[in-house]
Amino acid sequence: MNEANYKVKVARDLEDLIPVFMSNRKKELDTLRVALASADFEQLRQLGHRMKGVGVSYGFDHVSTLGKYIEDGARSGDRAGLEARISEYAEYLSKVQIAYE
Amino acid sequence: MRILIIDDDPDLRSLLGHYIKQRWPDWGVDEYDPLERNFPADDFPLGEYHAVILDYMLGRGDGLEWLQHLKKRHDCPKILFLTGAGNEIIAVRAMKAGADDYQRKQELTREKLLTSLHELTAGVKERTLSPELAARAEGHSLGAKIRIPGIKVLRLIGEGGMARVYLASRDGDDEPLVVKILRREILANKTALARFMEEYAMVERVQSRHVARIFGHGKSEEHAYLVMEFFEGGDLHKRLTGKAIDPAEALRIFRELMFALGDIHEKGILHRDLKPQNLMFRQDGTLAILDFGIAKDIAAVDRTHQGEVLGTPRYMSPEQVQGRALDLRTDVYSAGVLLYQMLTGRHLFDGETAMEVALQHVNTPPPALPPQLERYQYLLDKLLEKDRDARFRNADEVIGYLDRKLGPYAEADVTQKLH
Repeated sequence: MNEANYKVKVARDLEDLIPVFMSNRKKELDTLRVALASADFEQLRQLGHRMKGVGVSYGFDHVSTLGKYIEDGARSGDRAGLEARISEYAEYLSKVQIAYE
Repeated sequence: MRILIIDDDPDLRSLLGHYIKQRWPDWGVDEYDPLERNFPADDFPLGEYHAVILDYMLGRGDGLEWLQHLKKRHDCPKILFLTGAGNEIIAVRAMKAGADDYQRKQELTREKLLTSLHELTAGVKERTLSPELAARAEGHSLGAKIRIPGIKVLRLIGEGGMARVYLASRDGDDEPLVVKILRREILANKTALARFMEEYAMVERVQSRHVARIFGHGKSEEHAYLVMEFFEGGDLHKRLTGKAIDPAEALRIFRELMFALGDIHEKGILHRDLKPQNLMFRQDGTLAILDFGIAKDIAAVDRTHQGEVLGTPRYMSPEQVQGRALDLRTDVYSAGVLLYQMLTGRHLFDGETAMEVALQHVNTPPPALPPQLERYQYLLDKLLEKDRDARFRNADEVIGYLDRKLGPYAEADVTQKLH
């Protein structure tokens, strides 16, 4: 992925909200993995939909982009595609750098 | 003031609550998690809130059903409904079900949220509205009064210099439509009114999938209107936002634009005001041109006064800036300016004033593309020739070039090294 995608600019006044937001994303990643392991496509779709809605709201556009892919992949039952996207999400969360401005 | 946020996502509830409290520290904000709690019972104190923010997907419930039930209560406050982006049918259903406003969740910015809440609670607060909000309030109230047979006008979604734009739908279905209402001050201007009505007459003549479909028009003492197709994919302006578009996608959009120009030029119409805001996308990605407000029938008597310059300076052709007679090549040039912007993410020319930008179309050579986009340089050079005699003559010529040189079956590059 383009290195620039790992850099996120967030409004300074949201700084207090970000630790909970990031913690929830990590929990979400675990839930995505469990849902994929059990082939629970409905839960994957719901989680993808939620990522799509919340990511861009906080300035994490890539979370929304991945959310859309996961939602679409869950709808079509594309297990391999979902696995790839969830791995990409894990890598993104481990590398993302937040700059407050 | 008290606001209730009903959403299954705790992060979104926190964010919306934060925005509200930051702007209005004395407002009360309560969160309602539909994953933890059932639909509010009859004794839930709904009437104590001044507005409710309600999401359309509630995890284990349908926001539209919640909306319908909430609106049956006599104490139901104003409701701001959050919908998915690119899914205006939900917005239409929500507005028909009684929502007082809607916002696309993925595009919900701090300002949009606060403006919407400000408007929804304006009747409650004893506060003087800013001129901007007063104008929007006037637009909303006008929309509520407009009567178009078979059409329900739902919500003000945009304001232009000539017209207000409303989301609407037919009485019989939930397909989203757009209603453009000419501003009252323009209605009194015979030239502007004639232009507005001409837009309908011209677009009706084109009948192309590359041009916005018009479903009806009309005029009364009070207003003139157009009913037209709604574009769920938004406009090119929204896609650009300072970023380049992937070259393959930029070329695809440009090619569609050329087909659109081919269709309108064939009917003897010049657009004369191509700009990102006038290029709309359907849900399937196809493009259509919009806003023929200053378009001109080539054969018609020119209503513009001599020397009067219409159009948007960033996208004007040199001959347009100079106020000269125009032909098909003016739109070809403007399309070239758009292609440059799509490929680079930058405007072709910048300047302190509109005049400074406009004059560069006449006097300043276009900047070269960066090395990675070199293969498009000749195309752009031919589109952006200042001398229109050296420019591509029409859209067909451009499409021919695209097919020969940049399409999937493009001719081999004769400059490639011999082995």
